[in-house]
Amino acid sequence: MEFKVQLGPQHPALHEPISIRMTLDGEVIRDADLRLGYNHRGIEKLAESRTFIQNLYLTERICGICSFSHQTCYTQGVEKLMELVPAKRGLYIRTLVCELERVHSHLLWLGVAGQEAGFESFFMYTWRDREVVMDILDWISGNRVHYSMNTFGGVRRDIDEMQRKKILDTLGLLKQRTDYYLNLAASEPTFVGRLAGVGKLSRQQAIDLCAVGPTLRASGVPMDVRKDDPYAVYAEIPFEVATADSCDVLGRAVVRVKELIQSYNMIEFLLKNLPEGPFKVKAPRKVKPNEVYSRYEAPRGENVHYIKSNGSDKPERLKVRAPTLANYPATIAMLKNGFIADIPLIFAAIDPCICCAERLVQLEDARGGSSRVLSFSQLRAMANERAKNTDFTKREIAWPF
Amino acid sequence: MSLRIAPFLPELLRSLFNKPVTVKYPFEKEAVPKDFRGTVVFDPAKCIGCNICVNDCPAEAIEIIRVSETEKKFKMLLHNDRCIHCAQCVDSCPTKTYRMDGEFEIAVLDRHQLKIEYK
Amino acid sequence: MAILKPILYILVYPGLLFLLVYSTFVEWVDRKLYARMQNRIGPLHTGRAGILQPVADIIKLFAKEDIVPEQADKRMFSALPVFAVAIVCTAALYLPVWHYQAAPSPISFPGDLIVVAYLLTLPTLIFFLAGWHSTNFFSEIGGVRVLTMLFGYEIPLLLALLSPAVLAGSWRLAEIAAFYQGRPLLMPANLLGFLIAVICLQAKLERVPFDIPHAETEIVGGQFTEYSGKKLAFFRLLGDVEMVVGAGLIAAVFLGGFPGGLLPGLAWLVVKTLFIVFLLAALRAATSRIRIDQMIAFSWRWLAPLAVLQLFIVIIIKGSAS
Repeated sequence: MEFKVQLGPQHPALHEPISIRMTLDGEVIRDADLRLGYNHRGIEKLAESRTFIQNLYLTERICGICSFSHQTCYTQGVEKLMELVPAKRGLYIRTLVCELERVHSHLLWLGVAGQEAGFESFFMYTWRDREVVMDILDWISGNRVHYSMNTFGGVRRDIDEMQRKKILDTLGLLKQRTDYYLNLAASEPTFVGRLAGVGKLSRQQAIDLCAVGPTLRASGVPMDVRKDDPYAVYAEIPFEVATADSCDVLGRAVVRVKELIQSYNMIEFLLKNLPEGPFKVKAPRKVKPNEVYSRYEAPRGENVHYIKSNGSDKPERLKVRAPTLANYPATIAMLKNGFIADIPLIFAAIDPCICCAERLVQLEDARGGSSRVLSFSQLRAMANERAKNTDFTKREIAWPF
Repeated sequence: MSLRIAPFLPELLRSLFNKPVTVKYPFEKEAVPKDFRGTVVFDPAKCIGCNICVNDCPAEAIEIIRVSETEKKFKMLLHNDRCIHCAQCVDSCPTKTYRMDGEFEIAVLDRHQLKIEYK
Repeated sequence: MAILKPILYILVYPGLLFLLVYSTFVEWVDRKLYARMQNRIGPLHTGRAGILQPVADIIKLFAKEDIVPEQADKRMFSALPVFAVAIVCTAALYLPVWHYQAAPSPISFPGDLIVVAYLLTLPTLIFFLAGWHSTNFFSEIGGVRVLTMLFGYEIPLLLALLSPAVLAGSWRLAEIAAFYQGRPLLMPANLLGFLIAVICLQAKLERVPFDIPHAETEIVGGQFTEYSGKKLAFFRLLGDVEMVVGAGLIAAVFLGGFPGGLLPGLAWLVVKTLFIVFLLAALRAATSRIRIDQMIAFSWRWLAPLAVLQLFIVIIIKGSAS
């Protein structure tokens, strides 16, 4: 028996609002479709009315987990617009925070994967150990979530010798725990049974559907902005692009754990080779008219900011493409022919950050070129009009599609 | 790597006899790091009234008000309900008028109680 | 006097009063163990070390708004939770506590093992009906999963419970328990069956790794999605009471029951059920939820053949002994 179901926008598996419309055949999903737009915040529009410095903190608040990646992406773009060469030590510290953020994001993801699969102990333990890296970030930046470390021309805070030692000391613990979780996740039969072979995305599909980040790399495509188009000091750090060939959720987990281990090595390298000198250079307030396209490898995949300046101290346009948006088409392909039980896992495997990806689009008629924009009061009037004509006493309410 | 029966069990049983890591938060408090970005503190004696902080504040939480017509004296009205604790004011100020303290338990039921006046 | 004993039996021990008090205590133990295994504290605030937290939860649920879906079958929807609790409490009366050697429980009869197993199956059917009558998509999926799972664990559980009964030569709980008290050396012969029964009890209680029917991240609350307020409180209570009765049944059948009269018997009941609750909590902490097809495959590929093997072991032992 086929029936149509709507999952979300409110659902325990979804931490943010998105709607998945599915055609089900028993427990098997035959067709799926995503509906977005429940959490549009107007950040791009807001950015146009703020100065470049104020936008540093606005871009940071695009995402709560990869806050630093959005901020760094924006900062790098503006630095290019300003034709500013950041201080070397500042770049090292910036890269360090990037990698610390990746560690915290991937540990968080491991926990979420455990929670979605119903493995609560795994969730509790990974999040307990995630506190270690959160504390490191707290020491060096003064906050756990929004680090606010970037400024144009470097970073805002230096790392002293004591902090450096402290981080190097705690890295050992993190390495040991990560090894333990890798072993655990790969040997617990119930957990492996849930992850292996779920959400298949072949190499060709991943390329065709423009997947990014660990989703792409788990399908065997070694693409990573840090390697392909190095920013900050990634050209100087030795590291490898982690890939997996299993093309399923287990592969995505393995890629993330491998990246964790790479990140620990990078953090160690950065701290041991931290150059002396100033950690920031002075930046101008106004920016020449120009445009720039900035790329950044966020923990979730490639993050893109487009910034256009017009000579004032405010950007004329800021366009943000969060990695989650690029992974949506691949998610639909992965959901097809899966089980209902696999939805949360498949969806969590792209590490969705739905609010980051919500953007407003204005649809234009392809033939006439006309478009329609409704104000809030118009929308409300329309809703009232519709409610007036609806008979709520009728009991057999049909599904809306 | 091969599958094993209950590989998590030893760790779980060890935890049973270890002290829990939970911090009983409202009863026990952990110290904040030394550079913690808590509440903004303003020193009116140092302020020269350049208004850079007002322009740079991303949340528009700072108001600098001139106290007297003749003297260069200023007071600051901090809208702590809007403050996002980014510490940009600390960085922007040319005379180091600002600093951040370690106070983070500032939640109240009425946002108007969060206004702080430094004079 | 003759009438007083059954009334005490039904109302006080091991009837309603004892069950309600003890089941909340068992829930607290379970939550505390689960939390400590995850390096957390667990319930902390209500009562000493949070011991009243399960009671507080139930009182809170009783005070909450009670919503019945417009399209649901109102009578069935409201009656099912009460029926379920009543059925499980009835099953508890068959547990061989309170002077059973001298004077067995007033309702005990040869074959009550089967009756208890049957009464413990009924809540599962009630879960299905609850899901079905909620007329909610998630509830219906949950209800169907409940029934699918029932086909997986019920037969291994019954086979596992039968093998000690076969060895003892009786289907009466009191006699099985008395048999193993007399011959404690025979208890390890049923070790395999004991483990199978614990795993099946976990499935019956719908806890991780078998919480498939109300898997929160998949189908919201499963069969309980539409339940709220008092009715949900009854279902929660049902889970706790079922855990006590299930653990008590396994303790009576595999671990030699609760000898020694009223108070020592009570002590044995607490010790043995808490041991089984500890096993259940450890199983819950150490595993991840599995899919419904994996659950069925697991129970037919492993649990059922092992339960048959256990039966063979018991028959061989019995044959060589006689």
